[in-house]
Amino acid sequence: MERILLTSEAGPERFADYERQGGYTAWRRAVTEGRPEQVLAEIVASGLRGRGGAAFPVGKKWQIAAETPAEHKYVVCNGGEDEPGSRKDRFLLENYPHKVLEGLLLAAYAVGAHEAILYVNHQYQQAQAALEQALAEARAAGYIGPRACGSDFAIAVRLHAAPSTYVAGEDSAAVNSIEGQPAKPRQKPPYPATAGIHGRPTVVNNVETLANVPAIVRRGAAWFRSIGTTNSPGTMLFTVLEGVKRPGIYELPFGTPLRYLYEACAGGLADDRPLKAILPGGPSSGFLTPDALDLPLDYQAFREAGSALGCGVMTFYPEGTDMVDVVLQIAEFFARESCGQCPKCQFETQQLLRILQLVKAGKATRAALAMVDKVIEQSRGQGWCSLINMPGPPLTSALRLFPEDFARYLTNGGSPAAR
Amino acid sequence: MFEQEKARLVLVCQNVDCLARGADKIIRALEERLSGEEGVEVKPYMCFGACQDGPNVVVYPDRAFYSHVQLADVDDIANHAKGGPAVQRLEEGVDPSLKALIFELLDAGLV
Repeated sequence: MERILLTSEAGPERFADYERQGGYTAWRRAVTEGRPEQVLAEIVASGLRGRGGAAFPVGKKWQIAAETPAEHKYVVCNGGEDEPGSRKDRFLLENYPHKVLEGLLLAAYAVGAHEAILYVNHQYQQAQAALEQALAEARAAGYIGPRACGSDFAIAVRLHAAPSTYVAGEDSAAVNSIEGQPAKPRQKPPYPATAGIHGRPTVVNNVETLANVPAIVRRGAAWFRSIGTTNSPGTMLFTVLEGVKRPGIYELPFGTPLRYLYEACAGGLADDRPLKAILPGGPSSGFLTPDALDLPLDYQAFREAGSALGCGVMTFYPEGTDMVDVVLQIAEFFARESCGQCPKCQFETQQLLRILQLVKAGKATRAALAMVDKVIEQSRGQGWCSLINMPGPPLTSALRLFPEDFARYLTNGGSPAAR
Repeated sequence: MFEQEKARLVLVCQNVDCLARGADKIIRALEERLSGEEGVEVKPYMCFGACQDGPNVVVYPDRAFYSHVQLADVDDIANHAKGGPAVQRLEEGVDPSLKALIFELLDAGLV
């Protein structure tokens, strides 16, 4: 299967290796012979979608920033990755820094930005070192600077350390952090693409998203669309978490059956234990049951199945897993990471956690558990970022698919109910 | 089988927003006024979801939701908790559907 991102067979891709494989040719040609509209048109035609979790069409975001009149514009590579278990962006930054950097340069050119920022989780020391080195190499080669590749296009790139909080990875939180403010989301609209850093148009793209860009510009949108499905072209990185025989990061074309990832790549569950549940897109996605193994890895297919691919963090749970423990952990995560700006988000995340703590302690009645839906309903869409909509899907899907896991903890007001 | 006579709870939100509006002083003042009061318990509450109307205090099971509570209101609230009349002037402003949800949560044992 063709790979776009994980192309190196032998460790980190070095500058010389990257150049030898055609790296920076897209950049050089675009900036010396091409026009920004051509790069933009190629990305629009490619159908590339954001890989940070929201799957927003990248070309559309670029178009908005390109068409917003402003003297200064910015592009940001969003490496504020802090989702539990997700490490694909760190992996790309550590091993393919030039690929990401070239993607960022092309984004800047396409939208007319002369300042680019690599926003990277401050705990990712190795990734930051790899980027520092890549920046030095690219500057020395003349790819970055006041006259990039000898053209009249000026581009400056710098690193900015992102705090390790979940919301710091939200695009407007990244904008705030880069401005020197706390990394908390802004009320939207305006979206960063029209009014981001210092009120100027700012494109914020995920690391993996940008890593796709050089190959698309070099080889064309038609080539990119020959991989994957019509609605989800290209490949995606899937992070399979511990519990399977071969946990790791796998790059697969969209449309590949989930079963291939689970069985052929990850080797199935350790000790060949039977599968009980799948959480396919990180803690904000809905749980699925083993019959979902035949779904194609595709945004739409997972949405139709009541879940989401998110940023591709997959967890497979064996029979015997207590789903109450799993959803309790997820509720703890969201209660901890709710940044405190939006009343309804604080209320929701803390009430859901409280309900689940009571369930686990054998002190919740059926009526208390039934409050879950009402709390979620009361909060839907009432926040400045999407965190407020995240605790719902895993919890409501677990309640729907595994009611017996919850029922055994419920009390009728006296002693815990018998199993 | 025989429902115990429930204590009257005075729940004072202690979440970030209410605290920033002085909810820490409110809970201390209420504790002071109501210490040793039979059948009345002052308790911190995590969040009533009405931060913009804080500090918020709920007297339960009386279903009184007091918002924009100031130190000057503490005597009247304490008086209510001791069996006096509810403090009507503090009962306006909170979204009725949120109010209903909060009491439903408390009724479901989420105190």
